[in-house]
Amino acid sequence: MDEFITACPRNCYSTCTFIVQVSGNRIKRILPFSGNRATPEGPCIKGLSYIERSSSRDRIIYPLIRKKDGTFIRIPSDEALDIISSRLGSIRNRYGSHSILWYRGSGMSGLTNEIGYSFWKAFGGTTITYGNLCWPAGLEAVRLTLGSVKHNVPWDLVNAKTIIIWGKNPAETNVHEIRFIAEARNRGAKVVLIDPVRTPSADKTDMMYSINPGTDAALALAIAKVLIDNGLIDCEFINNHVAGYESFRDSLNITPESAEEITGIPAGDIIKLAFMIGKGGPVTFLPGYGLQRHINGGQTVRSILALAVITGNIGKQGSGFNYANLQSYIFDSVKEPDSYYPDPKNDSPFRRTLSMAKLGQDMMNASDPVLKTAFIERGNPILQSPDSNKVSKAFSSMEFRVVVEQFMTDTAKIADIILPAKNMFEQSDIIGSYWSPYVQFKPKILESPGEVMPESEIYYELSKRLGLVCSENQIPEPGNQNIENWLKERIKGYSDLQLEDLRDGPVIAPGLQEIAYHDFKFETETGKIEIYSQTAYEKWNVSPVPEYVPIKRKDEENNFPLVLITPNASGRIHSQFGNLKVIAENSETPALMISPEDAERRKISDGCRIRIYNESGELFTAVRISNRIPSGAVLLHNGIWMEEGGGGNILISGRETDMGYGSAFHDNMVEIELAD
Amino acid sequence: MKKGFVFNQSLCVNCKACSAACSLENNFTVKVRNVLTYNREAAASVPLSHLSIACNHCEIPVCMMGCPVSAYRYDSLSEAVIVDESKCFGCKYCVWNCPYDAPKYDPVKGVIGKCHFCYSRLGEGIEPACSSGCPTGALSYADLSELNPMNTTEWFPENELSPSFRFKGITKNIPLRIIPDSLFIKKINSVPEEKKIRRSDWSLILFSFFSMLSVSFIASLLLKGELRDSLLLVILLFLPGVFSVFHLSKWYRAWRAVFNFKSSPLSREIAAYLFYVIISITSVFSHAPWLLVVAVVSGLLLLLAIDGVYIYSQKDPVVYLHSGQTFITALLLISFLSGSVWPFIFIACIKILISIYLYKPSGRNIDILRHIRNALLLVAGASIISGISYPQLSVIIIFLTGEFLDRILFYFDFEPTNINNLIYKHIAEGKYETERD
Ligand code: SF4
Ligand code: SF4
Repeated sequence: MDEFITACPRNCYSTCTFIVQVSGNRIKRILPFSGNRATPEGPCIKGLSYIERSSSRDRIIYPLIRKKDGTFIRIPSDEALDIISSRLGSIRNRYGSHSILWYRGSGMSGLTNEIGYSFWKAFGGTTITYGNLCWPAGLEAVRLTLGSVKHNVPWDLVNAKTIIIWGKNPAETNVHEIRFIAEARNRGAKVVLIDPVRTPSADKTDMMYSINPGTDAALALAIAKVLIDNGLIDCEFINNHVAGYESFRDSLNITPESAEEITGIPAGDIIKLAFMIGKGGPVTFLPGYGLQRHINGGQTVRSILALAVITGNIGKQGSGFNYANLQSYIFDSVKEPDSYYPDPKNDSPFRRTLSMAKLGQDMMNASDPVLKTAFIERGNPILQSPDSNKVSKAFSSMEFRVVVEQFMTDTAKIADIILPAKNMFEQSDIIGSYWSPYVQFKPKILESPGEVMPESEIYYELSKRLGLVCSENQIPEPGNQNIENWLKERIKGYSDLQLEDLRDGPVIAPGLQEIAYHDFKFETETGKIEIYSQTAYEKWNVSPVPEYVPIKRKDEENNFPLVLITPNASGRIHSQFGNLKVIAENSETPALMISPEDAERRKISDGCRIRIYNESGELFTAVRISNRIPSGAVLLHNGIWMEEGGGGNILISGRETDMGYGSAFHDNMVEIELAD
Repeated sequence: MKKGFVFNQSLCVNCKACSAACSLENNFTVKVRNVLTYNREAAASVPLSHLSIACNHCEIPVCMMGCPVSAYRYDSLSEAVIVDESKCFGCKYCVWNCPYDAPKYDPVKGVIGKCHFCYSRLGEGIEPACSSGCPTGALSYADLSELNPMNTTEWFPENELSPSFRFKGITKNIPLRIIPDSLFIKKINSVPEEKKIRRSDWSLILFSFFSMLSVSFIASLLLKGELRDSLLLVILLFLPGVFSVFHLSKWYRAWRAVFNFKSSPLSREIAAYLFYVIISITSVFSHAPWLLVVAVVSGLLLLLAIDGVYIYSQKDPVVYLHSGQTFITALLLISFLSGSVWPFIFIACIKILISIYLYKPSGRNIDILRHIRNALLLVAGASIISGISYPQLSVIIIFLTGEFLDRILFYFDFEPTNINNLIYKHIAEGKYETERD
C-alpha cells in the first residue's frame, strides 16, 4: 500500500491534513496526520467519506450530452470538446465573448483554478459574477476596521479566559475547533454562545443567549455601552491604537433596556455578559458567517468587532476576533474581498456585471450582449444561489450550457454537455486555509477513471481547438508533471516554500503572525484600528461608526410570519457530500426544523410532510419538531438536493448585504402548512 | 499493557465520524458503533451529552460465555472478542447478555454482527478505524492502565465485566444555562421504548410453557402411579423443541448448540431438554418406573436450566423471584394435576405473594393483565378447595390460562440491562447535577 499526505480543499474552516493509503488505484484508508496542529486528530466525517466519494459508482466519468428528451448519453471526449469549442467560437463571433457567463463556485480550492483565467482571458474575456455567497460582508467589515483580515492561530484559543462564540456552530462546521474550546474550558475559561438556535455547539458551552435573528448588532452595541459606562474598557489600548473612539462612544444610543426589546435578551443578562467580556480577559470572539448573511451583516460584524477593540482584545495571546485568517492566502494578486468586487476601471476582459446575490435577476436583465452561454465549474448555482427559481429560468433560457461536474447535481442536470470533473486526488495542487496558518500541497494520488480530465487539461484542449496562444505558464500541457512544474513556478518567490517540503506535510505560511497584529500595525489609512471609518461611509454608504440597522423583512401583512434560517449541515459542505451513502447513513434525514409552539399552532406533528412557501416559491419536505428552535423561526439546512426536497434557496430572495456584495440569505419570511 | 477505548464526553460533537469510519473500514451489515445521545430532545432543564459506543471487549465477555454455539472467540493478540458469523445460529442470547448493546442482530442475514476491535488493523500496528476517525479526539484508543477504572458517569453499566473502556475529562453533566430562561423548556416526552413481546419471544414463551407442562404431566403420572403410553405426552415432549427452533434464523446450525455446555446456560438448557426428551420417551414406552423417576428429575433440572438462562442475563429479583418462572410454576402444576390440595394452596400463595411484592404499577395496560392473572389463579384455587377432586376441563382451562399469562408477564418484566434504557431512566429520574461552579 502506498501512503500520501494530502489536504482537504473544501470550502471549510478546517482544511484538514490527512494520510491516504492507496492500493490498486483505490483509496483504502484515510488516517489522521498529527503534524497539522489545527487538525491533529484527522479529518471530519466528510474527509473520511472520500473513501466512498472517490470511487463512487454515481460519479460521472465520461462526457455526457443531453438528448432532445432530456436524458444524457455518453460521447467521446474529443467529440465533446469539438462541440464545445465550436459553439464557444461561434457564439463569440456572433454575440461577443461577454455573452458567455463563466461561473465558478467554491467547490474546490487550489492554485490551478487560475488556469481558467488564462484561458478565458486569451479567449477574449467573459462575463463573470461579482460578490460572493458566503462571507464578504464580514471580510469587508474586518478589513475596514483592522486593515486586513487575520487572527491568531487556532491553537491559541486555549489561552482565552472567555470565549464568545457568536453565531458560529463549530460543533458542526469546524469540529476541530471544539478541541481548543474544550481545552480552554478545562483551563477554566467561560464559554458563551450567542445564537438564535440551540445548535449542537451550545452544548459545548457554559451558557447560551438565544437572540432574535438579525439583531446581533443591537446586542453588541448595548454591551459596548455598558462596557464604556462602567469603565470596563482598555483606555491605554484605545489611546494608542484606535482611531475614532470618541465618535463611536458618542454614537451609542442603545441601552440594555432598549436592546432587550430588540434582541429578546433580558437587560440584566446583557449587563452580565458585558461584565464577563469586560472583566474576563483575554477574550476571544468566534463570530460565524451566518450573522453577516443579513442586509445589515457588515455593520453587525463591525459592531461585534468593536467590543474586541474597546476592551483591547486584539494583538494579544488568547484574544482576538476570529472571523477569518487569510494569512495563508499569499498567492492571490488581488486579495479577498477585493477579488469579489466589480472592477472599478472596468477595463479587464472580464465583465463583472452579475451579482452573486442576485444572479437570476441579473442574468435575465443582462443586455448588450444578452447572455447566451454558460460555462460552469466547481459550483452548483441552481441549488445554491438565492432565488433559485429565477436562476433556473435564466440558465434555461440560454443557448448552450457546459457544466464540469463529478456528480449529477441539480446544475449538471440543466447542462447541454457535462464534462466529468477531476476529484481532489487526481491532480496536484496547492491550497491555503482561512482558519489555520498553513500552506499545503495536495499531490496527485489516483489516476482519473474513465475519461475524466482536470480543468487545466480541458482548457488546454479547448485552447488548442480555438487556436488561442497561451504559454506554458498560462496553460500547462497535460500531465501531472507539468502541473507540478507550473506549481513550482508559482511558489518560486517564497524561499520558505519548497514543493519537496510541502510533500511532507503542511508548512506555516511565510510571514505568519501567530498572534495576529502583535506588532499593532494596522494597514488602515490612519495606521490605527478604525472604529470610525470614513471609507465605510464613502464606499458602502453606511454610518461610519458601527450601527444597528433593523432589518426590514419584506412581508407587510404578515402572511409569512416565520424567519427562515438556512445554515450549513454537519455532513455537507454546501451541496457537496449529501449524495454519499456513508453521509446519509450517519446524518439526520433532511427536514425543516420548527419549534414545538409553532408546530402546535399549525397542527403539524413530527415527521409530517409540509409545504413551505412565500412570495418567491414553495418547497415540500418533512418537518422535525425541535426544541432547539425558538418560536418564530424555522431552520432548513442549505445544500439539500432537489431530489431530497431542496435546500430553501427557492424561498430566498436575491438581496445583497450592506457591504462587500455578500448575499443576505437569512432575511426571508415563510409560512408553513401541512402538505396533502 | 491493556489497551482499549477512551472516551472524553466534553469533546464529542455527535458527528458520527467514528461510526462512518467503522463502516468504511469493515463490511459489517449492521451498525456496530453508535453514538448515543443523552437528552436527544434538548430539553432545557437536562444536561445533553453523547456517548460513542461499540464493543468494549470486556475481560469477562458475557456475550462469549453465554453463546451456546461457541460462535465467539477471544483473540489474544488484539485482546478482541470476535464473533464468527458463520457459526452464529441467531439465538440473540448475546444481545440480552451484553449491557453495552454491542452485539447487533442483522434481521436480513439472521446472524449477529459485532465490533471486532479492527483486530487486523491492530495487527498492522494501526489503531481501530473508529478512534482513528474521530476528528476531535473524543474517542481514542489508548493504554488503560493509568486511567481510573470507570464510574465517572453513573449510567455506565456493569463495570465488573472489566470493559476495555474508560472515561476521561469532564463528565460532570450540568444542564446548559439558556437565556432567556423561558426558552426551549419543553419537557422530555420520550420514555424508554416500551417493552413489547416480539415474534421470537413467542416461541420462547411457548417453549418454556410446554416444557413446564410436559414435566408436570409426567410428574403427576408418577405421583398417581399411572404409567401408560400417551400420544398427548409425546406431543407435549416434542412441542417445545419445535417452538424453540422457530426463533432461530439458522436452525440448521442448531446441532452446535450444546458445544458451550461448560459456560453457557443456554447450551445447558438445550442439552437438558434433549436428555429429558430421550429419557422420558424411553421411560414411557419401557414402563420402567425408575426411568420415570429419572425423567421427572431431569425434567425439573431442565426447568431450573430454563430459569437459569434468564437469571444469567438479568441478575435481578424481578427475574429470579418472578412468579412466572418455570420451576415454581411446574410445582404448582404438579400439585394441581395430581390433586394435592395443600401443596397447591401453599405454592399458589407464594406465587401470589411474590407477584404482589414485585408489583410496580406502570400505568400501562399490562397492569390489568396482572390482576386478571391473579384472579384466574384464585378462581382455579377456589374450585379445587371447594372439593372438585379431579378438576373439570373448564377449571383446567381457567387455571392453565392463568399460568400461561404469568409466563407472558415474565417476558414483559424480563429486561436485561441495556445502556440505552439506562440512559433514558437516568434522565427520567432526574439524576444529574444541577450545580454550577
Ligand atoms: S470538510 Fe473540513 S473538516 Fe472535513 S475534512 Fe475537509 S477540511 Fe476537514
Ligand atoms: S467521531 Fe468523535 S466526536 Fe464524532 S461522534 Fe464519534 S466520538 Fe463523537
